[in-house]
Amino acid sequence: MEGSEMVNEAVKTEPVQPAKRPPGTCFPWEEKVGDLPPIQGDSELMRRVWQDIDALGYMYIWQVLLSF
Amino acid sequence: MVDGIDAIEERYQRRLKRYVTAMRNEKPDMVPIRPFVAEFTAVYAGYTIQEVTHDYHKALDAVLKCAQDFDWDAVVANMVYVWTGLVQAINLRYYGVPGVDVPANVPFQYLEPPEDNAWMRPNEYDALIEDPTGFLVNVWLPRVSRDVVAEGQPNTFRNNMSFVLGGMAMMDYFGALGGQVPRLRSQCGTVSAIAGILKAPFDILADKLRGYRGLCMDMYRQPDKVLKACEALTPHLYHVALSGADPDKNVPIGLWMHRGCVPFLSPQQFERFYWPSLKEIIEALWAKGHQVLFYAEGEWNPNLKYIAQLPDLSIVYHVDRGDIFEVHREVGHKFCISGGIPNDLLAFGRPEDVREYCKKVLDGVAKDGGYILDAGAIMQNDTKVENLRALTEAARKFGVY
Repeated sequence: MEGSEMVNEAVKTEPVQPAKRPPGTCFPWEEKVGDLPPIQGDSELMRRVWQDIDALGYMYIWQVLLSF
Repeated sequence: MVDGIDAIEERYQRRLKRYVTAMRNEKPDMVPIRPFVAEFTAVYAGYTIQEVTHDYHKALDAVLKCAQDFDWDAVVANMVYVWTGLVQAINLRYYGVPGVDVPANVPFQYLEPPEDNAWMRPNEYDALIEDPTGFLVNVWLPRVSRDVVAEGQPNTFRNNMSFVLGGMAMMDYFGALGGQVPRLRSQCGTVSAIAGILKAPFDILADKLRGYRGLCMDMYRQPDKVLKACEALTPHLYHVALSGADPDKNVPIGLWMHRGCVPFLSPQQFERFYWPSLKEIIEALWAKGHQVLFYAEGEWNPNLKYIAQLPDLSIVYHVDRGDIFEVHREVGHKFCISGGIPNDLLAFGRPEDVREYCKKVLDGVAKDGGYILDAGAIMQNDTKVENLRALTEAARKFGVY
């Protein structure tokens, strides 16, 4: 494999947004809830399920880094 | 004669007790055997290296066959630890894949990035420190994958599919890996040796971000950034380790260390750069009751005085190329020790040489308990079957208390 093939040099990256993402989190609930209309039902249920799903996304990127 | 379910479960319980007792630095009924068998399993089960690396079903079956045929107390569910199906799904650049980049009977290779073209550039520490997860997704992943495009670039079908394929493949693999634990228990009476994964923050910088050579330059040119990056990675690596840990707190979290040993780092560099963040994680995990399998790959004895700072029992100290008798003298009163049987002996020696070496280690290290028999490093396809058989027999002959 040649060195020039190793990285995607043509790609220009945007500066990383200064979002604070604590461990286990990609999109904090406080950020996600802002995307939603006012929650009429059980907001705690919405928060808990969102955080469980979001944790899977977090685990994906960190497991790629650690295990693969 | 096939063992009944009760007999297998009884064997499992006996082995679990033996393994856990040794890891608590106490004396079990006999020295446990926990061989880190990687590509050895392919040789034994009749597969190519490509087969066990790329078809995880065969990898898991090969481990099971070994566990059925050898009297081992614990094994890792799959020690061929990179499933290249997932590597292909994400189209990662940093592996040499058996049967593709290297011959089908050569273990997978990890490719260091070129020094001037690493996955993370020397001027990107602040971005990593500010938001590690964001940096990995937005900057790192587009560089290490041939398919993922960076923010601001035109989207592609390959980009979109890489996340679908990668995510589904990971769920598939981890599901199968989880299923291997009860298979080992119910079919072989064998304990799954570890749960979860930990790496040192410094190793993440070296292995996956800056490359070893780049990081060596950074230790001189921007040492404070290196230290801050280690600090920034620490809570995430702790979180991932804790997420995969054994809820029963029986088996340890696997800690695979690469660049902390001599001669990659001097003891002074180790003390300053490698150790503080890793020590913090191990102490935090131990505070939650989780041991760490401290896989000291290479020569680590010059760092023993630092490792001795850890709380008693917090690690199982695995010896590769260090002098195991010195390890026993220095930290044997604090930690269980494992390993120490040279891989070159298992690859090129004779069974009688293996038996003799095992006896020497058992006599010198295991007398008071707190020792687990294993090779120094993972056993790949050069370990001879007859030599691993000799190791197993030696443990049962000389390792009974």
